[in-house]
Amino acid sequence: MSPRPSIDHIRRPQILAAAAEVIAERGVAATRIADVAERCGVSPPALLYWFDSKEQLLAEALTADDDRFYEELEARVDGTAAPGERMVALIEAATENAEDFALWMELWTWALRDAELRAARERFDVRWRAAIEAIVVDGVAAGEFDAADPPRAALAIAALIDGLSAQAALGDPEVSNPRLAETVLASAERLLGAELPARAGGRASP
Amino acid sequence: MADRESARERILEAACDLIAAEGIDDVRIARVAMRAGASTALVHHYFSTREELLEQALLHSFEKVGEERFAATGGEAPSATAALAEAIEECLPSPGPMERDWVLWVELWLRAAREPDLRPFAASLYGRYHDWLEEVLRRGVDAGEFTAPADLRALTDRTMALLDGLGIRALLHDPTMALDAARAQVAEFLAPQLGIDPAALLTQAV
Repeated sequence: MSPRPSIDHIRRPQILAAAAEVIAERGVAATRIADVAERCGVSPPALLYWFDSKEQLLAEALTADDDRFYEELEARVDGTAAPGERMVALIEAATENAEDFALWMELWTWALRDAELRAARERFDVRWRAAIEAIVVDGVAAGEFDAADPPRAALAIAALIDGLSAQAALGDPEVSNPRLAETVLASAERLLGAELPARAGGRASP
Repeated sequence: MADRESARERILEAACDLIAAEGIDDVRIARVAMRAGASTALVHHYFSTREELLEQALLHSFEKVGEERFAATGGEAPSATAALAEAIEECLPSPGPMERDWVLWVELWLRAAREPDLRPFAASLYGRYHDWLEEVLRRGVDAGEFTAPADLRALTDRTMALLDGLGIRALLHDPTMALDAARAQVAEFLAPQLGIDPAALLTQAV
């Protein structure tokens, strides 16, 4: 059906990476399809062939970002590692990239007014909370964590990461990010009634 | 003099309404003027640029919150626990004017994440919110109602993060995050750290 399926898989990641860059810099409102096209070296009509709207570009760019996040997390620590270790890896990965935060903030603000982006945000959140919950459940089963209600503990951890990331974004992310991971880890220890293993990077990182 | 004050106020209120309804990026001076029943020349008389108007509108919104709610919180509460329950309530996006303030708050996060220039302004507003909540907690410690947490400042930051992370989900009408559930979750997080019963924070809410 499609006249150019053979290059689709090559172009899409480039377009989405360019869209993520441009939107993080300017915001969805000030982003034009032509800006994204120029950044990745395709023509605006070609770009519009793959993506209907800026909103769709945002949702798909975040989906790519999200998929990459879980792939990298899995590469860092696999599902057979101890739950404490997996929790530390997850929190570290989630607090690492302050520059991604602007893009996720775009999703939150647009989700206030756009039904499709609202549904997209829910999908990302369901996946994210399930990933946290799976570790909590394993930790409880292994006797490592003490959490009576794993979905609630997962929600609290997810909410803390979002709220603390917003605090870090209001300040200087360079300075506050190592502290950000520490703060989430300390709260997670309380919520899980467990001492989590020391971070791989060490606690003294600047 | 009074007229001048009220014209400026009307313009700021109109700007807040439009930011909340349409997003900060889409707000145009002409529409603010129309909504405020003022000329664009009058808007420009008070605010030299669009950026200044939007910044002042956010400041106006948070100052109003401060005057109307934060200052009054706990003033007439029968106990520090009741004052804290009231404060938690003030921090969640209940339907009505609180929802508008919340949307403006999220818009501010987004702008600050994207624009480093705006961060000192955002951080100072955030600092006021922090000081207010910390004071509510400190009054309970001083009155002997709460056990003193090891680090009151850190506990305040984490509580705000949790409120923000849960609040954004409630604001977006996350199907798993009703306001009641958010309230209960905050009580469950905070109460053990203050040596009080979580139920006391729920039943005393006004």
